[in-house]
Amino acid sequence: MIRSVDVVIVGASLAAAAAAKRLVDAGLETIILEKQKLPRHKICSGILSPRGERFLIENFGALPNKILHEPNTCRGVSFHFPSMLSLSMDFFGGPTPHLHRKYADHWAIKQSHSEVMDETSFLSLSQDDDNVLVTARKKGGDSFQIKTRYVIGADGPVSPVLRSLYPSYHKDIPMFFVGQKFHEIIDCPLDEAYFHFWFHPDLGHYTWSHARDGRQIVGVGYKVGEKFHDRHRYVAKYFEEKHGVYLKPADTDHEGCSENFGPSLINRYVFGKGRVLITGQASGFLNMIGEGMSCALHSGAIAGESIVDAMLRNKAVQEVYRKKIASEVRRTTDQWNPLKIAFSKPHEADFPKALMALPAKDRLILLRDVWHFVKLYKEFKWGRQIAALSMQRLLRGDYAQKKWL
Amino acid sequence: MHLSNQQTNPSRWQGDRWCDFVQFLKEQGVKVREKRIETGVYITDAGGLALGLPHGVVIAKNAQQISILMQAAQQFKVPVTTRGGGLTTEGESVAFGGVLLDMTGMSRVLEVDAEKLTVRTQAGIFWHHLAETLRRDGLDYLSAPLNLTASVGGTLGVGGIDVNSSKHGCSADQALSLQVVTPTGEIIECSDDEHSTLFERVILGYGQFGIITEATLKIRPYTPLRMHYFYYSSLKICIEDLLRLDKSQTCDYTGILTMMDTAITLLVAFDSEEREADFMGGMKDTLRGYGEMGFALRLAASFAWRPWKWKEALFLLQRKRELFPDLQPAHHMQGELMYDRTAVFSKAVWKHWGDRHMVIPDLASNADKFIEAVERGNAVCRKHFPYYTLYCVGIRLRDEHQAHYELSSIPSDARGWAYGCEFEPMYHGQEYSRDTLQSFKNEIYDVGVALGTSYYRFGGMMKGYIRRALGDAVVEKHLKLKQEADPAMILNRDVIF
Repeated sequence: MIRSVDVVIVGASLAAAAAAKRLVDAGLETIILEKQKLPRHKICSGILSPRGERFLIENFGALPNKILHEPNTCRGVSFHFPSMLSLSMDFFGGPTPHLHRKYADHWAIKQSHSEVMDETSFLSLSQDDDNVLVTARKKGGDSFQIKTRYVIGADGPVSPVLRSLYPSYHKDIPMFFVGQKFHEIIDCPLDEAYFHFWFHPDLGHYTWSHARDGRQIVGVGYKVGEKFHDRHRYVAKYFEEKHGVYLKPADTDHEGCSENFGPSLINRYVFGKGRVLITGQASGFLNMIGEGMSCALHSGAIAGESIVDAMLRNKAVQEVYRKKIASEVRRTTDQWNPLKIAFSKPHEADFPKALMALPAKDRLILLRDVWHFVKLYKEFKWGRQIAALSMQRLLRGDYAQKKWL
Repeated sequence: MHLSNQQTNPSRWQGDRWCDFVQFLKEQGVKVREKRIETGVYITDAGGLALGLPHGVVIAKNAQQISILMQAAQQFKVPVTTRGGGLTTEGESVAFGGVLLDMTGMSRVLEVDAEKLTVRTQAGIFWHHLAETLRRDGLDYLSAPLNLTASVGGTLGVGGIDVNSSKHGCSADQALSLQVVTPTGEIIECSDDEHSTLFERVILGYGQFGIITEATLKIRPYTPLRMHYFYYSSLKICIEDLLRLDKSQTCDYTGILTMMDTAITLLVAFDSEEREADFMGGMKDTLRGYGEMGFALRLAASFAWRPWKWKEALFLLQRKRELFPDLQPAHHMQGELMYDRTAVFSKAVWKHWGDRHMVIPDLASNADKFIEAVERGNAVCRKHFPYYTLYCVGIRLRDEHQAHYELSSIPSDARGWAYGCEFEPMYHGQEYSRDTLQSFKNEIYDVGVALGTSYYRFGGMMKGYIRRALGDAVVEKHLKLKQEADPAMILNRDVIF
């Protein structure tokens, strides 16, 4: 006999935990399907924004020490530029925890009190007016089906749930690769209280470094297709030459993953179809300065609330979800909006203030560096779209929903 | 500023031994409604942000039934959440699992004493129902929340403010004695003279120390209202005038209602012609507000050279057109006198302030800090919403009730009067997510922590603020008392502690 539940969530992520929390509180029978065995590894800097920390505490309680990396807090973000200028910004409201995603995600999932099926892969779904039939498979077992009223895809940038709805979606957007290697430290002058990021076109689209559990991370991000080890070697050499970062050769536990960086810049989110909602990074929420987890948590919670609300008011869930998610879209896309960055502090660390603290000449140099870095993204043709969105936000007060899938 | 480590959205109770508990109650003659269609209607409160489903609902019938329920709940460790009108905004009357006790089943007026001017009523009654019943005998309650679908029991547990609270105090201070079912199921009558410690804790106690099943309240002869409005363009000046008026005790009703911080209305009203005449001949001339026409001209002049603010001007105009007739409806007016203010205000509140989300964070301070609290809260509103409204009112304190005010909405440093301001966004068709509204509330509450104020809405999702605002010592003291009174910690368990 096919088991029947209220909601199936795919992926045991923070977005899933937030959605599950709302659904379980409202008394809905909820199952989380997770491909890997829990607690599962997750590639992430673990840098959390103040809003994300607040969400975790308000919804799941005090953060236990075992879900944190060393150093267990992060003061903010430090930007570095080819001109060798550096700019450090503290988070508003003080340091935030440095999450160990493997344990943090598992802890949040447990705190949601949802039923979890780990080592269970989502295979496919089909939906009619009233239900969704989900096909999944337990590792080493046969595939089975679950009948559910709603599905939430909280399964990350390469979301299989999203692919089941829009098979060509991932081919239509630029995908990036981010990879990190871990090094024993010989000498590292980079302040371990900060997350360090480089606005340097030669280093790649996303270059970062920070301390974790006694080692230094050297991370690189670039368009899919280039070679990880070459890029990494180049960056590590640059750190050594320019910043005096002396590291031992990388340990063997390096790692990498695909990222759908882009949709939140140009307001091309994807929120699902019919009774299937897409949330978290799968829907395109991704951000800088520790905002990734924060928008995953909040969008996940909104997905959960939307289902409860849709059931309560007998409304179509997509309509409810798209109305509610607009505020999160506004917040996330504002963080890429040059007008907002210049005039209204959309981030949770004070970039304009740090910039204004520099001498006028340095400010100009730094802005020139940023401009050279931004040109790296020219091939994606986002510039005009971002400019148009900025004007739209200024004149209409909001971003259009027409481009959402 | 950092939030102390506290989970403010409680985890759902997981239902251990629920079936045994229900069976036990059934044997004792207490019915628990468990179907989703029966429990689903209680899923949220007026705030509309906290969503929680109880395992079962008990409709209150009498103190004995509630006593049986509480004894069983202690034994089986099942949480019990009480609910009257469900007008909480932070999920305080939402049950995250366990039993939801719907007090509206106990809503009869038991006895009206027109000589002693007291009424004995069941506590699940709504204020408008009580007002209607008293009106038959030419009587009225002293003060009640403007939103009259609040229950008497719920209001006594949190405070309750009215536009005459600057004269009569908060609703909770009208209570002379209460019948309370304690968390362990004892039925106790308490007052200032009898079981006074329990009385102190239950009044303004956020439902932590007992369930109010009956209340004896002070009442007064009914009087129609003589209203006057004065208009201001400065919050500071208007509040200064309000503080002076309250201190002079020349008015029977005072309060401030605003449209944004642009059109600020000071409302004053009187119970008698003599009081009105005294005011008109004296205090009135010292007020710095304008009349309606004078203010309209002034406002028009100030908007005329600020075209970027015309959208706001249109909003003010539209709101004035819609709201003002409803505050003086022809069928409730006889000349200058307003009859049935309960019906008029309650209707206007639902029509013009009501929404699916009643998000109304507030700050309660002493008179000295009040202007700063309102101005800083106003800046938060400006930042978050294009349209909003403020409501400010004074609360006369009773010196002999100082013990009642500990760990309550009444700030500990207030003497004579406390002042409250509610900050309410107007959505204007725009949908806001729960977090957007929550971050707005958090910012208002942060102002409270910075200034050392208290809050009227003091529980549920914002319980993390209680220790920050009132300090650990007083919270620990009350937590200890709670643990003694409610060993299984099951009554309204996630509201304060």
